[in-house]
Amino acid sequence: MTDSLEIQNVTYKRGMKTILHDANLTLAPGKIVGLLGENGAGKTTLMRLITGSAKGAGVITVSGESAEADRKRNVSFSEQLRGFAGSTKLTRIVDFYETVYGDFEADRFTELATFLQIDTSLKLAALSKGMKEKLVIALTLARRTNLYLLDEPFSGIDSMSRKKIINSIIQWKPENATMVISDHYVSEIAPILDEIVVVKDQTIYAHRQADEVRAEFHIGIEAYYESLYERGNDND
Amino acid sequence: MHFDDKIPIYYQIKNHIYHEIITGTLQPGEKLPSVRQLAVDVTANVNTVQRALSEMIAAGIIESKRGRGNFVTMETTKITALKTQLVTTQLAHVYQQLHALNLSDEEILVSVQQYIEQRGQNK
Repeated sequence: MTDSLEIQNVTYKRGMKTILHDANLTLAPGKIVGLLGENGAGKTTLMRLITGSAKGAGVITVSGESAEADRKRNVSFSEQLRGFAGSTKLTRIVDFYETVYGDFEADRFTELATFLQIDTSLKLAALSKGMKEKLVIALTLARRTNLYLLDEPFSGIDSMSRKKIINSIIQWKPENATMVISDHYVSEIAPILDEIVVVKDQTIYAHRQADEVRAEFHIGIEAYYESLYERGNDND
Repeated sequence: MHFDDKIPIYYQIKNHIYHEIITGTLQPGEKLPSVRQLAVDVTANVNTVQRALSEMIAAGIIESKRGRGNFVTMETTKITALKTQLVTTQLAHVYQQLHALNLSDEEILVSVQQYIEQRGQNK
């Protein structure tokens, strides 16, 4: 089966500053992958490179497609809805998604919205932070595609919302689709991860099976991740 | 389900289901929920649950019937053997720990007996 994602020798600079260099990563289909790294390590940049909204050197392939438009079609990214005015009704946003994305399934969205208890008659500005994140998750998962990128879906939301979101991921991720979830606090999602990828020193620093880390080092994922930093920084 | 993140998750799921089989929460011949439902129930990944199931199928405790799902074995001798195996693992652990405290086999027997008697009184 074709790999869900292949990143080959990707380098990205902003002005004179190197954000990522020589990044290489291959993800098989059907996995849930934790993308870990400190704030500013380049996690969001990596996601933006995958979707094509940032352009760097190197080759990125999503489900065998490397051209930007074909890649976009195969990726569902958790957009933060900044393009919509606060007065926009949620039903309008759902309509927009349905129009723009051919793989957006309205039935799937309704199921997700019911499960996550989203009231679609509200306006965007009326949503709490947790509710807005649930909406973003529902919109992202309602597309049926091969690669899902969730950029810090758990930052600043309460534990009940977090549990609901984790459950919706387990239930609605298509079997052969791969999902990348970025986070800098890993404990809560560790049990649902197949693999972890660590962004450090401006590159893909580590890529491991989560249960192998536990079996090999007898430590938790959070402790393993922290141990990578204790080995000393070679930032320069 | 609450996981200890230091221990492989598939291993903890396997032990959790073995425990349910031994205590009779899951009866011989009973059908297990679907893989995805089990994943939701324990809040783990579908692949991890599948790995746990595969090991239980290889061990003969779970039987996979094509198109019908996964079932607890009807062979109660296998379940009895599993129970013996898990009890032995626990005893081996305690025995090792007590031996490390320089207790002889006789002393271990006496302290276990005393412990059980004390527990009985405190009930």
